[in-house]
Amino acid sequence: MQIPTVFITALPTIAQMVGANRVVRGVAITHPTGDPSLAAGDEAALRIRILERAADMLGTEVDPRTVWEVDA
Amino acid sequence: MRVVHYLNQFFAGFGAEEAAGHEPVRLEGPQGPGRAFAAAGLHVDVTIACGDDRFALDEAASLATLLAWIDEDAPDVVIAGPSFGSGRYGYACGVLAREVARRRIPVVLAMTPDSPGVLAAEGGAYIVPTGANVAAMRHTVPVMTGLALRLAAGETVGTAGDEGYLPRGLRVNVRADDDAATRAVGALVAKLGGRVTTEIAPPADRVSPPPPVPDLAHATVALVTEAGCVPQGNPDRLPTRHANVWLRYPLDGVASLSADGYETVHAGFDTTDANLDPNRLVPLDAARALVDAGRIGTLHEEFFTTSGVDTPVAVAARFGQEIAAEIRNAGVDAVILTGT
Amino acid sequence: MSSTHADLAIATFAIDEIVEGTQTGRDGTTLIVSPPQLAVGAGEPALAEATVEVVRPGDRVRISNVCDAVVPDVRADDPSRTFPGPVGTADDHLGAEPVIHRLGGVCVLTSCDWEGAGYVGPDELPASIVDMAGPGRDRSPFGDTTNVVLRCVPAPGVPVGEADAAMRRAGATLARDLASATLGHTPDDRTLPVAFPDADPSLPAVCAIVQVASEGPLVDTFLDGAHLRDLRPRAIDPAWLYAGRITNGAYDWPGVRNVTAAYQEAAVIGALAAVHGTSLRFAGLILAPGYLDTASAKRASAEASAALAAAMGASGAVCTTFSSGNSHTDTMLTVRALERRGVATVAMVCETNGGLTDHVDEADCLISTGNEDELVDPWIPDRVIGGEAGARIGLATPTVNYLSGCTQLGNDVWTAVPA
Repeated sequence: MQIPTVFITALPTIAQMVGANRVVRGVAITHPTGDPSLAAGDEAALRIRILERAADMLGTEVDPRTVWEVDA
Repeated sequence: MRVVHYLNQFFAGFGAEEAAGHEPVRLEGPQGPGRAFAAAGLHVDVTIACGDDRFALDEAASLATLLAWIDEDAPDVVIAGPSFGSGRYGYACGVLAREVARRRIPVVLAMTPDSPGVLAAEGGAYIVPTGANVAAMRHTVPVMTGLALRLAAGETVGTAGDEGYLPRGLRVNVRADDDAATRAVGALVAKLGGRVTTEIAPPADRVSPPPPVPDLAHATVALVTEAGCVPQGNPDRLPTRHANVWLRYPLDGVASLSADGYETVHAGFDTTDANLDPNRLVPLDAARALVDAGRIGTLHEEFFTTSGVDTPVAVAARFGQEIAAEIRNAGVDAVILTGT
Repeated sequence: MSSTHADLAIATFAIDEIVEGTQTGRDGTTLIVSPPQLAVGAGEPALAEATVEVVRPGDRVRISNVCDAVVPDVRADDPSRTFPGPVGTADDHLGAEPVIHRLGGVCVLTSCDWEGAGYVGPDELPASIVDMAGPGRDRSPFGDTTNVVLRCVPAPGVPVGEADAAMRRAGATLARDLASATLGHTPDDRTLPVAFPDADPSLPAVCAIVQVASEGPLVDTFLDGAHLRDLRPRAIDPAWLYAGRITNGAYDWPGVRNVTAAYQEAAVIGALAAVHGTSLRFAGLILAPGYLDTASAKRASAEASAALAAAMGASGAVCTTFSSGNSHTDTMLTVRALERRGVATVAMVCETNGGLTDHVDEADCLISTGNEDELVDPWIPDRVIGGEAGARIGLATPTVNYLSGCTQLGNDVWTAVPA
């Protein structure tokens, strides 16, 4: 039995290479789900957008090793 | 012919999960399934055993002890397992086999093809594929015996396809007729002419994408991370690199990961920004927001963490299987995994 | 499109043996060396010691702590321009009729125990070995050349960059002085013009993308002696490789990064030249950085290389790799960016026991330069030059510890096949 998993990472090619099928591109290696250059409110909103993208991907049928960007 | 057999605590007769921390032991003669090998024609001279948890948590010392016994006994072949579908047992067999192979001693294992032991052996062992549980013992022992006897006698063994063991994935160095640049240009000219060739096939260990979660608004999602996020002070001493454990921490009542409450101990990146706001690694606050908005049904009330630095693929595969087993039992429907 | 500005000629003088004499010179295929004349390190204040000795294929000698390999070259048209930067004057224009006299069968190897001298910690620089006999002799191409070994000890307290520059200067000077024995001599009939005459425009245009990495002292690559830490992908004249303008100052992972000799030999250019005009036309050479730190830098560089290749009109590209680890990601991202622009790729990469370090689906045409993890049987030589610490005497040794053991610039014949 498989558990659908979405992987948020700033290195999506390595994720694809090891076979991750649902990948959302994270912001940076040091903060995949954050951005210290943004004001606090904007960063919180960005994080929610990243998670919404991840949730979308969990609910979507995908081809193997698919990477989605988070729309800016 | 001298044969050494490796077993875990259960098959050596020390007990089940409660004995998983058992220290390495050396016993004369066959134990447990070792007797089945004797019936099949392979007499075991020495049995060495170790608890699965002991090996996983104290790998260097356990391995050193086991290898010292093997070096002393100087066997003609080593057999380990069968470990069937067991992740930790398979991993231990695989790691031991890798080191035995480096000593130029043939080694035979048996496990499911997706066991982390296959990766851990790094092509050094002859691995007989098995079903997931001990019911497969009856079929597995004779195949292992046949391979072990011939390897111990120094006979050449045929290909994986012919002999029924898993392809070893070994890549051995040979001298080609032309230098790599000449071969590269030749391959490119052929490709431009419509014929694609490659000397290295794409990675083969693929899992097809699971079907999507049918109703995320009523599903349970778990947060997992390799970013080394732990409670402030790292109370359970998660290693900063070469982690041999994953940990779990409760999230009930926690709305957001605070800088005071949590930190990251991952040695592979600059942790400054993450320590100012651990949600930048494990997006708890945003996950809560999605639950409040009805996008996700519920958030599983613990998160799973390890630090993914210098983690061998076989170890990571074992973590994944273990965490998956935990959350499957807890009724989790999907995972959001974050990595650095 | 011809993309060399200089029709550089290389005349090779085959050397079968080196003997000592009072005057450095050449007699047929014998090179005579005069040790006092080759005391190149003597004038370097940054070096406390610089000894030169000759080792030959078949000698039961292991050379350890090997830093670089340099082919003896001299600019016959203007010796003062040999090895621009470290030794010679540098100029983007190589000159009207540049001719290099090159010794065949001889190599200068530099050796320095940086850890012993206190510049790096334990295990920071992996063992770097050339065996002249024994099971590892053919793992390094330099087990087959007569090697003039320059062993250096830095002067105490000298900054690492200065000590390294002194060693590289001494090594290049030695290489030039050895080749100078051929000045005034008629070349063997192996004069090799490196030129790309106009070719049938209907042939597919193919470029080469050579990846280098430059990360700091002891892990640098140089152009005219200046480091390439800020390199962005750029088109360069392939003659620059042959002429020694790109030199090596990276001493980690000897099996998989490029030595200066590999640039001088430039096998990837030679392989393209061999079929230029028949199967393809050479579109140009791009020098690109590898081992970049961040995902965005890697992507940007890969895109820049691909854009440059497309601007050159390339329909195909040969990609090389420098070292292993995340530089393989740079190679794969470059392959992906090229393929997405319709440029067909082939890439040269080494392998490990665990397979490829990185891969993209678009990388459907890969050339293996060998498995860097494969162990070579233990050996106990009669002598070690370069220091016994870190020389792995009597230990099975991975291929990656042999100098150029899995070179991904394409110069060698080692590859890996399924067992």
